Amino acid sequence: MKRKYFYNHSIWLLTCILLVSACKEDEYALPTLKPGLQNDAIKRTLGPNVAGLDIEFAYAMAIPDNEGRLTSARVEASIPGAVGTWLENNSYHTDGSGDDIPTQMGEPTSTSGAVSEMTFTRDTVASTLRYYYIIPDEARGQSVSFKFSATASNGQSVSFDMGPYKIAKMEMVRLLTAVNNAAAYISIADMTIYDAAGAAANPDKIDLVYLYRAAPASFAHALVSPAAEAQYLPGVTLPAGVNKSTRVRKAWAIKDFHLAQTEVGVYIDDLDFERLDVSTSPNFAINMKAESGAWVETADGQYRAYIYVNSVNNGGQSMTISMKRYSMN
Amino acid sequence: MEKYFKITLAILLLLTAGWSCSSDFPIDEDGLLITSRGQCYVSNFELLGSDFQTVRSKAPVIDTVAQTINVEVFFGTDLTNVYPQFSLVTDAKLDPKITGKVDMSDLANPRQWTVVSGNRQVRKDYTVNITIQP
Repeated sequence: MKRKYFYNHSIWLLTCILLVSACKEDEYALPTLKPGLQNDAIKRTLGPNVAGLDIEFAYAMAIPDNEGRLTSARVEASIPGAVGTWLENNSYHTDGSGDDIPTQMGEPTSTSGAVSEMTFTRDTVASTLRYYYIIPDEARGQSVSFKFSATASNGQSVSFDMGPYKIAKMEMVRLLTAVNNAAAYISIADMTIYDAAGAAANPDKIDLVYLYRAAPASFAHALVSPAAEAQYLPGVTLPAGVNKSTRVRKAWAIKDFHLAQTEVGVYIDDLDFERLDVSTSPNFAINMKAESGAWVETADGQYRAYIYVNSVNNGGQSMTISMKRYSMN
Repeated sequence: MEKYFKITLAILLLLTAGWSCSSDFPIDEDGLLITSRGQCYVSNFELLGSDFQTVRSKAPVIDTVAQTINVEVFFGTDLTNVYPQFSLVTDAKLDPKITGKVDMSDLANPRQWTVVSGNRQVRKDYTVNITIQP
């Protein structure tokens, strides 16, 4: 009996000791500085990568003070960026208000082909440079990778690979203005809006007609196929040959950030177009409101698009739209 | 003695578990309780378009005697892709179920749904008549 009590008490005591010792906090110690030149990178942009937009990176590099100074930074893309691609010659830090404060690190950088380079003129051991890659049209549907590298005055060099990043197949155009009885003929194929003369010259490319009618009140701003019933094209005389029937499905609360530029976190991507089914949708959409949208498929099935209504103007009888388009071929 | 106590406790536990699992009401083929309620009517009706916004131009008229729902929709509404929503009396259910968009474009042949009471004894067919705003 005594032995049993001894064991029981011992187990309880050991458990208590373990609990107390497990809860003991380690004292804070300054992290040990890694020797040699170090680097790291993050991608700052979100959402699908669309041709014409940029992919922004922040590339950080540092070396211990007693080992040397930064001498150069370099980025190489697997596909040369479009005009405007550059490695910024400023390093940023954030002030107490949360604002980015630049500090110039060198002369403006040069970009040649796929390579952007900067030589440090400031005496520095740490820097974070931003790299803006403008996605070229030829990269659509492909993947692009980046190799960031830096050198130091002691001869050391480091590199950091980012990617691959898929470049969306879709294309985009923003802030086109459609005007009732004027620039009213929307072409998905050309991603533009024609007036009557332009529509007459390109009748096979006109997919939708914009019109505004104050009555009935539920008509207002509309996107109607040229082949829609006459009741949806009141008072419209179509140019010769404009006769396509385009499927349209109204949408609400799809405020794609690229198109609306107001909401963060909502993006239309290639997958949305690939899965789109408007086979049972009508060929007109009336009473379109600001911030609404329309999923569209052209009569020949070659293109699918999302038209976002940025704004409408009842007085001016106009509508400002932005469009993402996906080619099915 | 201890052995008898354990056996008794186990039997009691099993009895308690069995008793607590037994239900007061039977369950139908949809896993819903069949209750004693005999009421059977539609209390409200909504019709949403493909953009999930209402397409009604005014409040629906629900006649629980004639078992009709009259709805007027906006001019230009795409009636091939609409989402009807029924609000029913407590414990009632709808047959057939609405699982997605519905084609209600055939105005000459209005769609019908059956409301089934909570006790599953009463069935009433409701006809949804749609008119388009002039």
